[in-house]
Amino acid sequence: MNIASQSVGGEAVFKPMIQIDLEVKAFLSAWLHCDQISTYSARMISHNRSDSVRHSNLFSSAFNELLEVAFRARHSSGEIACRVSRRGETDRIELTFPCMPEERQFYEEAILQIAGSEARERYLNSVSGDLAPSREVVLLELAIDYNATFRLDEAGADTITLVVDLPLEGLPN
Amino acid sequence: MNPYLLPRFETQYDINDQEFSISGIVRPQSIDELAPSIALLKDSIDRVRGILYVNIRRLTQMNNTAFHAFSRVIIDACRARPDLKFVVITSSVVGWTTRKFGRLSGIEPNITVEEYDSEFYPGQTFLEEGGFIPILRTQTKLTWRHERTILPRHGMQPGIVMADICCGIGDFAVLVQREFEPSRIVALDHARTSLAYARNVAAEFDIKGIEYTYGDASEMLLEDDQFDLVTCRHSLQVFNNPELILKELFRICKPGGRVYITNEKNSHCLGEPRADSIQWTYNEVAKLWAHFQMDIELGPKSRRYLIEAGFEDIRVESFMVTNHDGDPQDFADVIAAWENVYAGEMATKRGDPPAFIRRFRQGFQDHIFAALHPKGYAGWPIWVASGRKPL
Repeated sequence: MNIASQSVGGEAVFKPMIQIDLEVKAFLSAWLHCDQISTYSARMISHNRSDSVRHSNLFSSAFNELLEVAFRARHSSGEIACRVSRRGETDRIELTFPCMPEERQFYEEAILQIAGSEARERYLNSVSGDLAPSREVVLLELAIDYNATFRLDEAGADTITLVVDLPLEGLPN
Repeated sequence: MNPYLLPRFETQYDINDQEFSISGIVRPQSIDELAPSIALLKDSIDRVRGILYVNIRRLTQMNNTAFHAFSRVIIDACRARPDLKFVVITSSVVGWTTRKFGRLSGIEPNITVEEYDSEFYPGQTFLEEGGFIPILRTQTKLTWRHERTILPRHGMQPGIVMADICCGIGDFAVLVQREFEPSRIVALDHARTSLAYARNVAAEFDIKGIEYTYGDASEMLLEDDQFDLVTCRHSLQVFNNPELILKELFRICKPGGRVYITNEKNSHCLGEPRADSIQWTYNEVAKLWAHFQMDIELGPKSRRYLIEAGFEDIRVESFMVTNHDGDPQDFADVIAAWENVYAGEMATKRGDPPAFIRRFRQGFQDHIFAALHPKGYAGWPIWVASGRKPL
């Protein structure tokens, strides 16, 4: 599979670290897959970070949330691809999964809101008001607590790629 | 039973401490999976007066589903009972908890977040100041002459996966890596200055394969049953509760793997000439450490500790670092550093009178005299012990 992150529009190269592809049906067969994929990937990519255990814990925490978002979309067919790449202190997660046009619109709007000035307030309102976090709030939390940045890439018909950059090395303790 | 079906988190309420604790990995698909824990939290809130402590020091993962569920209960309680305060205790080791739970105090001022840190081991601060680093290097140089031949008898061999817990400035891990070439070393310490030093040394000398990590030896993020060999040198004697550390060393060691510990019995330090003065001072060192809840006499107790922690095939031996291990000045430098810390800082902090401190210092000076004397002999005994984790 093409590793889109290696060179896009003159952007410096993100080097591939690990990639996990699986059928959506297989992925949805157990909720625990989110935990297992995030924990395994985190362990594999963290050994050469300045604090491997801390990095692994943080990365697993963020990646698991993204996988849970994809899991809750509950598409019945297709493939899900999880790619992790690295440039310097930033780790990039590219999550490609089936997505209907209206969902795409949701992600586009959510990413706009994350970049907005009221992101933190929206997040706090959700924590104090909602029984369960929405997909948008999960993404907001990653932006607020992990300094994550988001982008959507075209991946093909009825699929999207959510590109999330995590600067965990520079994250203050 | 499939281990993945077992609950991987635990919630408890301690009525005496008014403390609700959550530990482990909490990643439910739905809030329903948390129902018993949420009920326990609500019940704890109903029973408490004043402050409810929410201890999440051992919480390693929690997804947003669970975070929202627990947070809502706490926030609702703040609104229903303004008399009640919540103190969330996080760990400085788990990178995300303080930030994530810290948001709650922005919502409700009656919620505060406190980060648990190394201050819980007060005695250690004497030994972890930056100025002590050169002497730690010299100590390791002196002990390594012995340990490099001892270690293979305690499970060290090429290719193993090992952890060095309480690694300090990381020099032992570097020596091990060069001599024995384990496939992976995780070196953990809770002193960030020591770890920064260790990482700088590794970068400067292009040393690969050692992962320096920040952590608390009494509750590590490292997973169970990971390491063929777990080393913990000169550290159990520094903790006021060595059993707690040994439990963690046991946990991360693979079944069939070994845990290797070294400790001292400082009252057995010796020297000639001026043996009596030296003996007196080191007896006093033992009492001084005990005052600060540390046991510098732990060495010969290692066997008992290992047996009681559940290890088998216990192996114990001892060696004497002497002024004849290389340059006698190295030995003298170590003693001079001890004098500065023990007589200069610890005895002063204990409130010892000047006359006592003068006599106390004299013993160290006499030990240095013995070390540098052309016909002298000076010794520092160390006990090595290891045990195998049962299969």
